Amino acid sequence: MPKALTPGSVGVKAIPTKDLEPNPHNPRRLFDPLPLDTLRESIQKVGILVPLTVYWAKSRKTWIILDGQRRWICAKDLGLRSVPANEVAEPTIVQNIVTMFQIHKLREDWELMPTALTLDVLMDALEERRDGKLAELTGLDRAVVARCKKLLSFPKKYQDMMLDPDPRKRVKADFFIELYPVIHDRAVTKMEWFKPDSFTSKMLKRYNDGGLKSVTDFRKVKQYINTAVKAGKVKVMGSRLEEFADEPRLPLEHLAIQSAVLSARIREITQAATKMETLLRNLVAMDFYAEEDLWRRLERLMQLIRVRLGEVERRVK
Amino acid sequence: MRQPRPRGTQIDATRLGRWIEHFAGYRTHVSQMRINQWLEQFEEDHRDAAARILDAVEFYREDHLTDAYRSVLGRLPGWSRKATEREGRWRFVAFSRGAGESGDRMLHVFRTANRLSGSRFDSLFIHRSDLLREKLKAEDTVVFVDDFAGTGDQAVAAWDESLSELLPDRPRMFLVLVVAVDRAMTRIGNDTPFNVKAFRRLGRQHNLFTPQCVYFSSNEKGRILEYCNQADGVAPRGYGDCGVLLVFAHRCPDNSIPVLHSRGPVFRGLFPR
Repeated sequence: MPKALTPGSVGVKAIPTKDLEPNPHNPRRLFDPLPLDTLRESIQKVGILVPLTVYWAKSRKTWIILDGQRRWICAKDLGLRSVPANEVAEPTIVQNIVTMFQIHKLREDWELMPTALTLDVLMDALEERRDGKLAELTGLDRAVVARCKKLLSFPKKYQDMMLDPDPRKRVKADFFIELYPVIHDRAVTKMEWFKPDSFTSKMLKRYNDGGLKSVTDFRKVKQYINTAVKAGKVKVMGSRLEEFADEPRLPLEHLAIQSAVLSARIREITQAATKMETLLRNLVAMDFYAEEDLWRRLERLMQLIRVRLGEVERRVK
Repeated sequence: MRQPRPRGTQIDATRLGRWIEHFAGYRTHVSQMRINQWLEQFEEDHRDAAARILDAVEFYREDHLTDAYRSVLGRLPGWSRKATEREGRWRFVAFSRGAGESGDRMLHVFRTANRLSGSRFDSLFIHRSDLLREKLKAEDTVVFVDDFAGTGDQAVAAWDESLSELLPDRPRMFLVLVVAVDRAMTRIGNDTPFNVKAFRRLGRQHNLFTPQCVYFSSNEKGRILEYCNQADGVAPRGYGDCGVLLVFAHRCPDNSIPVLHSRGPVFRGLFPR
């Protein structure tokens, strides 16, 4: 009669908890305490049912967790001496990075620059730069891939600023992401005086000195540029943008070159929106309960507004 | 903290001259007029204690930094200027950007101090954002260069938030500093893989507000704390309650007591940050 299979007989090892180390490519060191509590309770009752996946790192001479860091944290918390684990071959750096990206979801509050640098290594190794493919491969949102690539387009000295150990000196990735469309604008890049590095440095100084209210001010800058281009006033915008970069005291409105046509349209839309807002605010919905046409039209309007807001990257709550 | 002059020592031209000479090179020129303006912020009865604070300030000029960095690198195991005699690959990285500075000034000072300015050493000096690409292994060494650690908060946060991800194969890591508070060294040693090497270590006796600091009486400490509260109500003992009297020519750390560096409207420090 064949012996009953036990975890050990199918290759599951019991590895001392203290001998394991978290995966160095796993940036997700922070775990929500609540889900961990549930897992901890479960492990306390029935033990670790699904073995961890680990590999032996030759150069570091230690066991590294490929999958199961949350189980391992709970095991440590509970004082378990060993954990069940399946050993796999040491992955290549690319395999390891892809695995880590797939396992751990990116959180909004994590610094993006380390992720961007990891993605950079991956892009080189796989010779793959398409956003969609990279998103598929890593499990990252496509927009996150695009943001990472924007960060990587900045010179090293700016990348280092996003990695500064001092949070007070660290420049948020959002600054560079918002600046990106301005310094890559076709009209701007053709301006004779324009040098991306120098412009970035001046904008950074302006931002640090309070000359910009928020990084989203760059959206206004971009809009002013677009408007000037449409109105055929690129030269005027060129001079104004140069002045804006060189003279920190000049307000953002210095860049406002509005054509009469555009101003009239802004006025028209604003007035219409205000009128609609007043009408809807005063509307007692139940009085119009059966007015299907009205509600359909409002639904269409709402969808259209969402589309337009999305086009300018406004988040609708 | 240096030993201040005895209580009651006159604030005369000689003493003022000593301070001016001692603080020469600070980013905002320390003149006799500015010292007098600083002292006048203290009530007359408290000016003796204020003057003794200036006596006790440890001031590091660039040549001090040069000596410190040379001394520390010379003692790192496995290092040699000759590539063939080095153990593994070595890389030097700026740890933090100096306040108000565009570049990695400390790394530049370190490089010059150790006669590594030649182009043949270029590959040794890299950006933080290059760390991952370098694929440094356990047998390699990364030396992070900075000037000061007061609490260790930054180093620990930096490790947790980004550096751990950029150094997956865990090379040997040194954090080279000119000055470090003992408490910071312990914390960094416990919570990160950095091996901290500091030219000068500051123990509890260097915290003006501790009982171990014998240069100032309890009464003087109390008075000074009142002024520090005016200068910075949030961190009157300096950031992390470090209470140190430390100034570098390029900056005054916020771990120093705020009467030295405050830019506040109520009290203006002699070494504004």
